[in-house]
Amino acid sequence: MQVNVKLFATLRDGRFKQEKMELGDSSKVFDVLEKCNLPLEEVAISMVNGRDVTNDHQLQDGDTLSLFPPVGGG
Amino acid sequence: MGVQLPPRYQRNYKALSVEDQARLGEATVAVVGCGGLGGNVIEEFARLGVGRLVLIDGDRFDETNLNRQLLATEKNLGQSKVQAAKQRVEAVNSGVKLKIIGEWFDEDKGEEFFQGVNLVVDALDSISRRVSLERACHKLGLPLVFAGVAGWFGLLGVSFPGDNTVARLFRGGERGAEKVTGNPAFAPAIIASLAVVEAVKVLIGRTVPLRKAWLQVDLLEMEFETFSLE
Repeated sequence: MQVNVKLFATLRDGRFKQEKMELGDSSKVFDVLEKCNLPLEEVAISMVNGRDVTNDHQLQDGDTLSLFPPVGGG
Repeated sequence: MGVQLPPRYQRNYKALSVEDQARLGEATVAVVGCGGLGGNVIEEFARLGVGRLVLIDGDRFDETNLNRQLLATEKNLGQSKVQAAKQRVEAVNSGVKLKIIGEWFDEDKGEEFFQGVNLVVDALDSISRRVSLERACHKLGLPLVFAGVAGWFGLLGVSFPGDNTVARLFRGGERGAEKVTGNPAFAPAIIASLAVVEAVKVLIGRTVPLRKAWLQVDLLEMEFETFSLE
């Protein structure tokens, strides 16, 4: 299946802004993080088709997954 | 014109109506954190004419603050941030009533710190404290405007009791990206201004687009995108 992965802010560094990713059936958000070499502590929130999900959320063909880093400074 | 505003508020009109100006004058806003975001937020609230400000920060200025913190100057290094904020507000608008609290925010102190407060603005630099600030606000039935910056990036939103936006938005990733990116002057100023815009809308009863949502700001790409958390 194919999932549209969008990265935001610092997560784009050395990666990409948006990429269509081929994944095995029943892949989860975790699997995308691993494929992107993204440690858990670098992702604050994961959204699938505009809804926030946990990292064990199962992805479907055609989903858009958006990943955001924690932006905590003041 | 029939409008009777003191000269210092005449240029707020008509963006802000006479009624809006009066509402701001009756409002009490707490600003938690008087650093990069906080300094700019406090400056704008003072000029807008918010009636009373509660300013909270346990820190003192040091040299590393000079790159971005509006209230930090070469002359006041070592001074407490809330004292500097008080002097600035008094110099800009002596009509603003002030309560300064030179302590770190603690969830247990919400009730004491936020007495008589109508709205809280988060200008903290810690994710875990921001989450606990939201809990404290919601326990007291107070809306919170939250904001964060990291290098070229920033975000902000508005959380009303029951929304729990901050807890959802910062569910993972305890270590903020700003630990790596630093914080040049531009992001705090921009994000602080946007936070003040949403705060004013809450106070004057206008629609608040960033409720149950957040604005993700990317100054490298000049992208401003709102994401909803319904």
